[in-house]
Amino acid sequence: MSQWLLLFFRLILRPLRNELPRTALTVLSVALGVAVVVAIDLAGSAAAGSFHSSLEALTGKADLEISATGGIDEQLLGKLAQLPEAFRFTPRIEDFASIDGKGEAVPFIGLDLVGGDFLREPSLESTDLASLPDSDPIWVGSRLGLHKGDHVHLLIDDRTHEFAVRGVLNPGEAGVGEENVIVADIGLAQAVTGKTGRLDSISAIVPEGGHDIRAWIEYLRKQVPATVSIEPQGSRTDENRKMLSGFRWNLRVLSYIALVVGAFLIYNTISVSVVRRRAETGIVRALGATRGMVLAAFLAEAGAFASVGSALGLVLGRLLALGAVRLLGSTVQALYVSSQPSPVRFTPASFGMALAVGIGISLLAALAPAYEASQVAPVEAMSRGREEFTARRRGRWSLPLAFASAVLAAIAAQAPAIGRQPIFGYVAALLLILSAALAIPGLLSLFAEAIAGVAAKVGQVEALVAVRSLRASLRRTSVLIAALATAVAMMASVAIMVGSFRETVAVWMENQLQADLYLRPAGSAAADRHPTMSVEIADEVEKLPGVEAVDRFRAYAISYEGLPASLGGGETSKVRLRSSTRLMPGQRLDQSLDALTKGNSVLISEPFANKHHLKAGDTLKLSLGTQQPAFRVAGVYYDYSTERGFVVMDRKTLLRYLPDPAISNMAVYVKPGANAEEVRRRIDQVIGGRGVLVFTNARLRKEAIAIFDRTFSITWALEAVAIVVAVMGVAGALLALVIDRRREFGLLRFLGASADQIRIIIVAEAAFLGFLANAVGLALGVVLSLVLIYVINKQSFGWTIQFHWPGALLASALLGVYVTTILAALYPARTAMRLNPIEVVHED
Amino acid sequence: MRIRLWGLSDVFACGQKVALVMLVGTGLGAQAQRPALPGYRFEFPKDHFDHPEFATEWWYYTGNLSDDSGRPFGFELTFFRQAAAQALVHAVTETPVWNLDQIYLAHFAVSDLQGQAFFHTYRLNRAGPELAGISQKEGRYWNGNWQVRFLDGSGRAELRTVTNEAVLQMTLEPRKAPVVHGRNGISQKGTDPGNASHYISFTRLAAMGTLTWKGKSYSLHGLAWMDHEFFSHRLEDSEAGWDWFSIQLENNEELMFYRLRKKNGLGDSYSSGTFVDHAGGSHFLDAKDFVLEPAGATWTSPKTHATYPIAWRLRVPSLGLDLAQTTPLAAQELDGKEGEGPTYWEGAVRYVGTRDGQPIKGSGYLEMTGYDRALVFGQR
Repeated sequence: MSQWLLLFFRLILRPLRNELPRTALTVLSVALGVAVVVAIDLAGSAAAGSFHSSLEALTGKADLEISATGGIDEQLLGKLAQLPEAFRFTPRIEDFASIDGKGEAVPFIGLDLVGGDFLREPSLESTDLASLPDSDPIWVGSRLGLHKGDHVHLLIDDRTHEFAVRGVLNPGEAGVGEENVIVADIGLAQAVTGKTGRLDSISAIVPEGGHDIRAWIEYLRKQVPATVSIEPQGSRTDENRKMLSGFRWNLRVLSYIALVVGAFLIYNTISVSVVRRRAETGIVRALGATRGMVLAAFLAEAGAFASVGSALGLVLGRLLALGAVRLLGSTVQALYVSSQPSPVRFTPASFGMALAVGIGISLLAALAPAYEASQVAPVEAMSRGREEFTARRRGRWSLPLAFASAVLAAIAAQAPAIGRQPIFGYVAALLLILSAALAIPGLLSLFAEAIAGVAAKVGQVEALVAVRSLRASLRRTSVLIAALATAVAMMASVAIMVGSFRETVAVWMENQLQADLYLRPAGSAAADRHPTMSVEIADEVEKLPGVEAVDRFRAYAISYEGLPASLGGGETSKVRLRSSTRLMPGQRLDQSLDALTKGNSVLISEPFANKHHLKAGDTLKLSLGTQQPAFRVAGVYYDYSTERGFVVMDRKTLLRYLPDPAISNMAVYVKPGANAEEVRRRIDQVIGGRGVLVFTNARLRKEAIAIFDRTFSITWALEAVAIVVAVMGVAGALLALVIDRRREFGLLRFLGASADQIRIIIVAEAAFLGFLANAVGLALGVVLSLVLIYVINKQSFGWTIQFHWPGALLASALLGVYVTTILAALYPARTAMRLNPIEVVHED
Repeated sequence: MRIRLWGLSDVFACGQKVALVMLVGTGLGAQAQRPALPGYRFEFPKDHFDHPEFATEWWYYTGNLSDDSGRPFGFELTFFRQAAAQALVHAVTETPVWNLDQIYLAHFAVSDLQGQAFFHTYRLNRAGPELAGISQKEGRYWNGNWQVRFLDGSGRAELRTVTNEAVLQMTLEPRKAPVVHGRNGISQKGTDPGNASHYISFTRLAAMGTLTWKGKSYSLHGLAWMDHEFFSHRLEDSEAGWDWFSIQLENNEELMFYRLRKKNGLGDSYSSGTFVDHAGGSHFLDAKDFVLEPAGATWTSPKTHATYPIAWRLRVPSLGLDLAQTTPLAAQELDGKEGEGPTYWEGAVRYVGTRDGQPIKGSGYLEMTGYDRALVFGQR
């Protein structure tokens, strides 16, 4: 053992001291790879707020949640409270408010503060009982920065109301999200949220002992209307978890790109290490070191890089997570559910996972070169120049294998999702990357032949030398190209996917958003949060001169077959006016709209159709108010506004079941030729002091695209890290190539090549390399983007994305990578230029 | 302070918290200020139900029961109503259903006199969507799933209390008509006019039902007592609390006494009582008519550290009555520490003594208030 340690120290560690820059690059690439994985893992958990719906704050020890679309009649509470079983019930109002009309929406929870004695019982700061409030009393979470006695204005829906803070919830005992909540008594909460007579839900604790919870649910079901749902508390969290799993899967996979690229680089680094120490390895072997010792020494090198890198990565990842959580949080809110990010928590699990992944992947990548080192024959090591032979010989099988994995990828891409996860889509993507990596040596060979011919004719001796030497060092060069190509491919594919998506959304909005002005409550909205405004605003606006029509739309967050969804009601006749909502191929909009006006049909959005395997002509049953009507699906329309999925019916139909006339938003069509500015001014007068926002068509689109871009900013960040890792690898690898070929450069210098020529040779090599990597990467990227768009995205989110070629974006990105690759060659070139020809030639 | 308490402590701040359960209200409610004045004519069944024009009202059921093997139990179930015009949870904006004009509190206690176990709990609600209330139309008062429902005009009633720990279901059948305490329709509690209450009792209710407690079910029968009292006054400043006795004798006679206790520990001259003869006729007893003395035995609560005299000697010379009161279970304190209200001792008791020289036995309930601290009203 001590012998091995000595070997490890002499053969591996001591030389590293002399190549600090390369060592640092390798460690840093591992660190970045691990950091990204850690950051996304941590931020993903935090952003999803542990998938905990904000509205589940203060549910305490409740076992059951009783709820219904559009709320529950409060009389049901009295009926339940008198059941002759030892249940405990408490009513809840669940809404959102923004403090002083700005900032994030804070859950606004109404509870029975007199009778609701079985809540989670968070402590209050001592409440001064002597002073009676002159404003409506609220209690606030400790993180809101409010103090007892503060007066605040809360914007709820389209109204602002003044409250006095009566106490602060004790942070020590607060549960998830409870640091960030506003609590009011139930009657007050009903009044200010416009839900008089209704409850959003009733929490229940079942009697102790005896039956299990299912039996109690059955018992209660007999006491409530069929449309009222009774679920174990936390079902919403489960639903959210299900809904968000696709999103998190995708993110996690993306986060591994940098690590995969990093693995290529570890492979490369260890290869370099092996090559550089070839002579030394031969000597120690000659002196009696076993193959196992050599193998272990090189694996230990990789292990050392990986450990240091992973440790750094953990720290870096923790920092990156703070930034990432904000980006992810806004995405989750925009697309899925109102869930406040929970604090970033570094669990032993995420710690262990990061270390395992970082070190595991590194060791795996180092296995092949370390094995090669262990195979170095003592004699062979004394002479140089034959080390690439084995690589070329083995290359014979690469192309058939590449072809085979491409075929497998094509097959995998056809397979359906497993439990809503596009597992085979990811497999297809991995197989494609593998295929490309296998094909690269062959391609490189062909390319080099071709270029060599050109280079010879053009007469640039430097280029010729560069091309030939690249071909000669095929094995390592191909790994290098594979690493860079993988990074480029990932970037290109995601760029194409996001670009296509963005274009698809833009075109969709063009069709969908045909009205001139849009109004919505100032209260903060999200995918599951539809603040309302008074319908009188719409009625008054409709009467204004210059206004042709108004489309009133109401949305509800609902649950359909155990998954969150959205329900909407719009005015079909107004949609017909101008909008060109696009339906799936083979369906006619006018026929579908006719069906909607008849009252027994709905349109469903594409994600909803995919999630629940519904198509036009199918029927679906909804729980609305006190009834459970069945609706025929009149059509499936393209919708990119929420992944939750939308069920849309005519407003009259919706009002028949849920009579609350308040609206979530409205579209205003201005008469052709009317002065839009004048109309806008009149609308502002109608709104008066109410909290209603007016958007012009252009601004609404701009805002929507801004949300879209924000959603994908995390994707771009992940891409960028992968590219940085790849380029760092290029620099390190070229450096290794130079060192490997010291003798060759020395000889060239000896034969009269100038230092500049040497530099040109190396830069030219980098140029060839970069070009090839870009070319292969782009080709692979296009294929991957097809998998992303038509397999992975479709299966995880259910969106049809029209392929769109983001030319300018791609071109600039590829050029950037290319230039960076060449720049990265300058440092190794300098090293090569500094070689002393005499010394190098004398080595042999 | 914990959130589950702020219902109580906020709503009953300014001393109301205590006032609710004690004899005297703080009279915060502007509309609920009607004083109890002489000349009140009780009308039944109307007067079995609520009187929202008075600040405070309660219906107090207590009883001594035993199962077929003779195993003795005691129970207490009380429904309180308190008018609170300006509760502290009060919102400027609120929906009418949830307003805090009236607060309903209920106490439930059961005593296992042989097993030496005592359980008590409470309920607090506003009327809300029928969460609690008193309805003459429906012939019942209730708080959640605790309720008393009248079955007919005779006063026969059904009582039901459901909790996780204990479930009590019982039918109560009056053996005597309700008795009006005091004189001229009022039970005077102090010097000022209106410092009084309207107070009636069912002094002999035949009780039969079941108690399920700690997984066991007991078929019980025995005697219960019901007090219904409503008023708007407050306890006088010099008074600390009171001691109240119900006595159901074997010979079909009953007595009720209360002693208002001054802060100096002495009895108040407004203490009084009622003697109900075997035919149901009631006879007023004023402070001079009876003698109440602690008989030495005390019990100190480990929770509140209040010391209660749990044995008394009661004498009514005019009736030739001399009774020694004891309790089979010392620990029958309802400690209000968790915010359920005030702390008081209310428990099943036994009486042994003589009536006109003849030995006699009886049972009943004893209530002692103001022992953990003097009751303070109208201020913090």
